[in-house]
Amino acid sequence: MLFSDSLTLAIRAISSQRLRSFLTLLGIAVGIAAVILLTSIGEGIHRYVLVEFTQFGTNVVGIHPGRTKTGGTVGLPSSARPLTLEDVEAMKRLPNVVAVTPSVFGNAEVNGNGRVRRVSVYGVGTGLLVVFRAKVRSGQFLPEEEAAAARAQVVLGPKLKNELFGAENALGAKVRIGGLQFRVIGVMEAKGQFLGIDLDDTAYVPAARAMELFNREGLNEISISIAEGVPAAGVVANIKDVMKARHGREDVTIISQEEMLATLGGILDVLTMAVGALGGISLLVGGVGIVTIMTIAVTERTNEIGLLVALGARRQTILGIFLGEAVALAAIGGLVGLILGMGLAQLIGFFVPALPVHTPLSFVLLAEALASVIGLAAGVLPARRAARLDPVEALRTE
Amino acid sequence: MRKADVLRFARDAATAYPLRTSLSVLAMAIGVAAVVVLTALGDGARRYVVDQFSALGSNLVIVLPGRSATGGFSPANALTTTPHDLTIDDAFALTRLPLVRRVAPLTVGNSEINANGRLREVVVAGTTSTYTDIRNFKMAAGSFLPEGDWNRGAPVVVIGSKIKEEIFGGNPAVGELVRLGDRRLRVVGVLKSTGQGLGMNTDELVFVPAGVAQSLFNTHTLFRILIEARGRDEIEAVKREVTTALKARHGGEEDVTVITQDAVLATFDKLLRALTAAVAGIAAISLAVAGILVMNVMLVAVTQRTAEIGLLKALGARGATIRDAFMAEAAMLSLVGAFTGYGLGLFGAFVLRQMYPVFPAYPPDWAVIAALLTSLSTGLVFGIMPARRAARLDPVQALMKH
Amino acid sequence: MAVIELAGIARVFHLGDSVVHALDRLDVSIEPGEYVAIMGPSGSGKSTLLNLLGLLDRPDAGSYRLEGRDVTTLSPDEQAAVRSRRIGFVFQSFHLVPRLTAAENIALPMMLAGIPAAERAQRVTQALKDFGLDQRAGHRPDQLSGGQRQRVAIARATIMQPAVLLADEPTGNLDRATGDDVINLLEALNQRGMTLIVVTHDAKIGARAKRQLMMEDGLLKSDSGRG
Repeated sequence: MLFSDSLTLAIRAISSQRLRSFLTLLGIAVGIAAVILLTSIGEGIHRYVLVEFTQFGTNVVGIHPGRTKTGGTVGLPSSARPLTLEDVEAMKRLPNVVAVTPSVFGNAEVNGNGRVRRVSVYGVGTGLLVVFRAKVRSGQFLPEEEAAAARAQVVLGPKLKNELFGAENALGAKVRIGGLQFRVIGVMEAKGQFLGIDLDDTAYVPAARAMELFNREGLNEISISIAEGVPAAGVVANIKDVMKARHGREDVTIISQEEMLATLGGILDVLTMAVGALGGISLLVGGVGIVTIMTIAVTERTNEIGLLVALGARRQTILGIFLGEAVALAAIGGLVGLILGMGLAQLIGFFVPALPVHTPLSFVLLAEALASVIGLAAGVLPARRAARLDPVEALRTE
Repeated sequence: MRKADVLRFARDAATAYPLRTSLSVLAMAIGVAAVVVLTALGDGARRYVVDQFSALGSNLVIVLPGRSATGGFSPANALTTTPHDLTIDDAFALTRLPLVRRVAPLTVGNSEINANGRLREVVVAGTTSTYTDIRNFKMAAGSFLPEGDWNRGAPVVVIGSKIKEEIFGGNPAVGELVRLGDRRLRVVGVLKSTGQGLGMNTDELVFVPAGVAQSLFNTHTLFRILIEARGRDEIEAVKREVTTALKARHGGEEDVTVITQDAVLATFDKLLRALTAAVAGIAAISLAVAGILVMNVMLVAVTQRTAEIGLLKALGARGATIRDAFMAEAAMLSLVGAFTGYGLGLFGAFVLRQMYPVFPAYPPDWAVIAALLTSLSTGLVFGIMPARRAARLDPVQALMKH
Repeated sequence: MAVIELAGIARVFHLGDSVVHALDRLDVSIEPGEYVAIMGPSGSGKSTLLNLLGLLDRPDAGSYRLEGRDVTTLSPDEQAAVRSRRIGFVFQSFHLVPRLTAAENIALPMMLAGIPAAERAQRVTQALKDFGLDQRAGHRPDQLSGGQRQRVAIARATIMQPAVLLADEPTGNLDRATGDDVINLLEALNQRGMTLIVVTHDAKIGARAKRQLMMEDGLLKSDSGRG
């Protein structure tokens, strides 16, 4: 039988029982809608997180003191040799390295203009602007100067500046941080929030001064920006060798942003699929619905099946007719579900801007394929039953 | 028609078509089973986390260095330092507070343990003898860190059960010398295995005196201070006392965050409950789909039994009776499906508990009741339309059709 | 050459413990263009014989040659092909597909055989005209009278120009007048050369055939064509 005819017969069968077919495909539609909606949210969050991370610049590599097992906590103090400002200078000399910044990090009170505010204070270097794609709104950033002798200057984050100085000019003012005096030389452009941390409620001082401030011997981290288009692996290997030579052994952890994003992306993908699988439970029940209705259809059309055999239909053809109906029901249900699910996703994205949603084309195609496969699987048993009917008995049935 | 007869009518109708009845029951069962298993999983995780927190000690107040401008906990301060170090002396000073029963300072860092020809990265916790009382540690061999001057540290170490196995195998570890970073320490105790494979426990930790840890990591500031209040009612008061005391010691600057373990626990508890409910909600969508199937099957039934309905009406049955009979059938399908699903779900939860004995995976009562009620009401709601259709059939037309 | 040759045909049914010989030692030969009536009381085996002739059932013994070809040993798919092209069925209860129009019902055998739509349309239009159904082409069975339904069924049965037309109680669900029209129609087809085999319990209808095969208890009691 020609494919176009099979299709016509299937559509005719489906549309001859409008309500019943509608309810059947509705089951698949709800299932697909749930799967698409949930995976769209998952994918939206995935993209959001990626964007959040890459706002700091791509091609960034971080060096932390101490070797940690993969998955170990980075950031805890280590018994290994501390990272020093000399290490930072060594990093600057590596090929394909565009910029380097040390990082010393702590929590302190900033006293200025008669007000006090507790913020995160970062000890960094000039390279910060390039490595983390930051910009200065007014004044200038920390200048390039000999790290150990760096002057006690500070660049304020915009929120901190507002809290302390309001609308007044802060440049040139003196502030006290943890007992040390600093001169304000710049204010940063707003960066917003990152994973719950307010990036604008900060102060940036030279790393050496921060080490004094927080009584530290070494840096928390060294961040390096690699030249555009150069794969991280080569540079990471270089860094490893140089640090090993400097410290006498391999006692640092090097994490490239690429790796981290890949790992994170992998985790988010697994979560998205898990959530999609939850929606799939409804799809499974929808499949059961198709099995039920097709079984009923075969019973109701028993004498029709006998007739078709009498007219010369092969077993394959009978099988194909009923399978075709099941797949058609599921495929139409899938389309309806896609429209429903994507529509809901857009609606949610509109009313709840905080919740990101995104439906990639691949998801749409996969979902429709999934629906069709479910239709196929659901139709197998009833179709085989139909194909196996004895035509004489079938014709005799009421 | 009497109630019992209505039920019998419904039951006979259902059993007359065993395949479609069992498929409808299956659909409902899948939905209920999914809800039961998923809530068991979620609640199991929640209870596991709560238990873990309880194992950390009771009536705990925790001090973290650093404070956010808005007060309360900020992720930026999870791991930070301050100009005024949070020192061991600070911790010791807190022991003198009247409402405080015990204090243990805590420093944490990464290092390498080197012994018996083996090298392993390890997380090191620096603390004092009081820590074991707060956390109720059980020793497998030897004893925990000795009492003594908190600032000075005896060159000793207590190792977790997994570390002991990896470094020493079956041989005794107590009394052996190990190298931690660049320090030589003697093993004085081995912690008992917690028996869980999930890694959030002491099996892979080593404990050294706080003073030793500080010189090992070249740091003067603590990671946390753990404080046990005298009693549950004293927790808030201890919180205030500690904050005041530390502020005074830090030059009038309030540069620490003091939280109660209860508060942290409550946050996790709420979060996991919400997650479990969300997951259950998504699974429950399948109940709606099952309801749609019930409606479909009932509609088919009405069409197929048109003659029968016509006959009943001709014999004097009222529309309401017909409607009740069909509603009873829908309700029966749903109930049988719901209970089957409940049984399947309980079995699923049982399997989960066998696979992960650590998680107490039991479906919470609210979830079970919600699932059963939802499936029953879904069946009833989706059964109304077919039932009313049946009730409204014109007997003459119905009988004429055949 | 005979169009149908049955030799030593037997069909046995097992009902519980008892064994029923629905057909027993049947030898029949039918020439092309013959008009045969198969008659007998209920349970005589006439329906079984028709099912066998239509390749809907297999004999337990004996052979069946259709147009000189042994069809008893064909595979199910090959038998289906024979049913499609060489055999036409007309049933007592019409067996039209309720959701298809008259035209679509007539086209059904061609659809099953994979004939493309354009050719189908042409042949259906001709058939509708031949059987006086042009006005009813787009109507569904429930919108047709009994007589019209059977005419659609006959059009369907003959659209593939089969060698043999098998009719099982074709007037059973029709009133006398309509039934007569249908029989006339079948006879007109037979006059144009189509072998016609009618199963009936109605003596009057059976008498119109040129040859009567009387069945009783699975045996061929008498064959008016062979003395």
